[in-house]
Amino acid sequence: MERENKVEFKVEGRYALFTDPLTKIGGEKCSYHIPTYEALKGVLSSVYWKPTIIWVIDRVRVMKRIRTQTRSAKPVEYGGGNSLAIYTYLADIEYQVQAHFEWNMYRKDMEKDRNENKHFFAAKRMIEKGGRRDIFLGARECQGYVEPCRFGEGKSDYDNYGEIAFDLMFHGFDYPDELGKDELYARFWRPKMIDGKIDFFRPEECSIRKTVRHMKANPPQSIGLREEGLLEGFEELEVLK
Amino acid sequence: MSWMQKLYETYENCQLMIGKVASEKEVPLLPICHSTNKAQIEIVIDHQGTFKRARVVPKDDARTIIPCTEKSSGGRTSGEAPHPLSDKLQYVAKDYKDYDGIKKPYFKSYISNLEAWCKSRFSHPKAKAVLSYVNKGTVVKDLIDKKILIAGENGKLLKKWDGDKKEKPDIFALFQNEGWQADAFIRWEVEIPNDPCSKTWEDETLWKKWIDYYSDTKKEKSLCYVTGKELFMADLHPAKLRNDGDKAKLISSNDWDGFTFRGRFTDTKKHNTYQTCGVGFDVTQKAHSALRWLISRQGYRNGDQAIVAWATSGVEIPDPLADPLDILGEDNLKSDDSDNVSVAQNLAIKLRQKIAGYKVDLGDTSGVVVMGIDSATQGRMAITFYRELTGSEFLERLERWHDACAWIHDYGYNRETKKHIRFVGAPAPKDIAVAAYGSKIDDKLKKATVERLLPCIIDGQQVPIDILDSAVRRACNRTGMEEWEWNKTLSIACALFRKLNEKEGYNMALDPNRKTRDYLYGRLLAIADRLEGHALYKAKEKRDTNAARYMQQFAGRPNKTWRQIYLSLSPYMARLGGAKYYKDMMDEVMCKFDPIEDFTSDKPLSGEFLLGYHCQREKLKPKKGEPASIDDDNLVEE
Repeated sequence: MERENKVEFKVEGRYALFTDPLTKIGGEKCSYHIPTYEALKGVLSSVYWKPTIIWVIDRVRVMKRIRTQTRSAKPVEYGGGNSLAIYTYLADIEYQVQAHFEWNMYRKDMEKDRNENKHFFAAKRMIEKGGRRDIFLGARECQGYVEPCRFGEGKSDYDNYGEIAFDLMFHGFDYPDELGKDELYARFWRPKMIDGKIDFFRPEECSIRKTVRHMKANPPQSIGLREEGLLEGFEELEVLK
Repeated sequence: MSWMQKLYETYENCQLMIGKVASEKEVPLLPICHSTNKAQIEIVIDHQGTFKRARVVPKDDARTIIPCTEKSSGGRTSGEAPHPLSDKLQYVAKDYKDYDGIKKPYFKSYISNLEAWCKSRFSHPKAKAVLSYVNKGTVVKDLIDKKILIAGENGKLLKKWDGDKKEKPDIFALFQNEGWQADAFIRWEVEIPNDPCSKTWEDETLWKKWIDYYSDTKKEKSLCYVTGKELFMADLHPAKLRNDGDKAKLISSNDWDGFTFRGRFTDTKKHNTYQTCGVGFDVTQKAHSALRWLISRQGYRNGDQAIVAWATSGVEIPDPLADPLDILGEDNLKSDDSDNVSVAQNLAIKLRQKIAGYKVDLGDTSGVVVMGIDSATQGRMAITFYRELTGSEFLERLERWHDACAWIHDYGYNRETKKHIRFVGAPAPKDIAVAAYGSKIDDKLKKATVERLLPCIIDGQQVPIDILDSAVRRACNRTGMEEWEWNKTLSIACALFRKLNEKEGYNMALDPNRKTRDYLYGRLLAIADRLEGHALYKAKEKRDTNAARYMQQFAGRPNKTWRQIYLSLSPYMARLGGAKYYKDMMDEVMCKFDPIEDFTSDKPLSGEFLLGYHCQREKLKPKKGEPASIDDDNLVEE
């Protein structure tokens, strides 16, 4: 990477649900008070992503005071019918995020696509447009909206608040296609929020990890143009074959 | 979300409190791998396993600390899961079937567990004694011989006592409804020479042996999601958090059939490698034990909802959901003969001092956690509210709440002197809920309202406007409630209005300089009410005043209704001989309306008029020494 390719954006929504794994198994989901690395990576990937790149989230800034709200839900059961559950969401969310991308070295087939300018400017345009795909904050029912911004501008409820330390929290998953090994890992860390800003550890820096299971990466076998039968019926393009 | 971590820390900080029973109602802080259960029968044996004597345990002594396995404490809803040492007759008595026990005898599983424990290197002489006694298989027979359990003529256990009520044996009194004497829970006492502590539920060495034995059976180590270390994993998490019969769990065991969480995880019931989530065995036992103790000791309960606030260092803190009377404690509130207002102000000062006192104990950096849990279904619990604050932040917010949402309340009640106490402070959330929605409030609504008010106290958020509107509307409907209920609703509505309009800085005493329309209208209503009330009292008539009857109309159409009220005042003014005092006061208030359109407009009044009404009424109340008026009688709660 020759040039700095930092992108900054603001994501906001009415609700967010960054589920705590301890509560997820029981079904009574409760949200973390701050977003996980993986959740923000998901937001940015919904805005713009190509298999060539890996997004790395650098920092997030919490703009509004952390409020939780409980809602009752009727989740559908696998065997039919529903059960009742109480979910605890975060209400009224606004975050400013700063991130950059790096090449996914494990995708050798994407070598020719490693064009910094292309991806950087496409990402910037997509942030201005609000994203290519739907944005959601943690869980799918929590719709979010993305806008461009400058990281650090504007007043937040946590300016000059001081430091808040959080206990062990989920950081993200290490998937085989980004890690190079045939295993799925879960990473954990202990975040610190200083004046509303959280500096994320890089995935490699998370020392607390757990092997979840064996998993194989499954990238597509071809990139499309040379497939059998794709150009059938087009006489003038037979030349390309 | 570090609630588990905080509970674990609290447990570690409160190690000295383990096993100490404060009172019958409170659950003690339990050692890990132990649970509590109510025992009905106590059997005393000697160290060789010979039966010595037995007795029926009275209700207030029934709570017993028993060793338990994860399965027996958490998953005993259906199916057998024996406790290791003390258990019901169904498990403990080999001869249960012989005496007509209805349920399936589970003796085999119980005895095999106990034998395994006694054979291991963690056995204890008391456990061995129990084993040798139980092996004899004469539990029920011995109890019948000693007339603890009663057998009928056929030699089988009696279902109900048919004979003379005066001679009813104690054991029958302990069972109601479905239970009968064969459901009795047995606890053991083993008398060993030179051992001062014969009770198995108080012997700490026995606890330790069981803990060591059970921890030794754990083989799997994995990453604990709470501490981040590699620990032995817990299979099941404890239940019984809110009461002894509570089957709901905070961390529910994996739902293998329902796909609550599956997706990328491939664990199955047979091969569970804790892919989704794993918590250390030690950690979860300690955390749940601490939570259970805290809820029992200092939690607010409302049906399924439980809200508890505690300091992780174990130091005492004031209850955020209490009103000032509860915080100050009843001994501080002796009946005071001096002027009402100064008593109330004294209370406010005392409250501030008390909170400051907590500050000294808590220190600046000690953490305070406020947690609320609720359940939608029987088996699971959700964390509906969770906040971590420093000690100073917590106390500061509490003080601010009691300062800003304060008003003069008359509904305090001292149970000892049976007198009503006036206090100055913020109303408790449950009282706010009742004031806003009525005394016949639906349980769910009450829960939800208390939950909505928690952030107002803990986070310093603004009170929701709809609760205020509800309370104001009900306070205007004076004729729909009894006098005491109306007074309570009125003062709570005033407190809420004051909190929502903190910027205006309303005084609790009458503010003669305030010229806002609603305030002045409130004052007028109070003067008219008092005038008529005074006249009626003199005539010894017990009627509602016109002002009281028209209060609701007044709130909606003040100008028109004021005309009606004023016109109806003339006979009463005559009765009082002109009523110059009141007339002057009314003139004074009328002059303050500026511009005059404020007075002539018929726009509805906001809650501010209640403040004006209350303050003026306070001012007009007779001082001590003057004849009491009709108002004071009606302040008593029926």
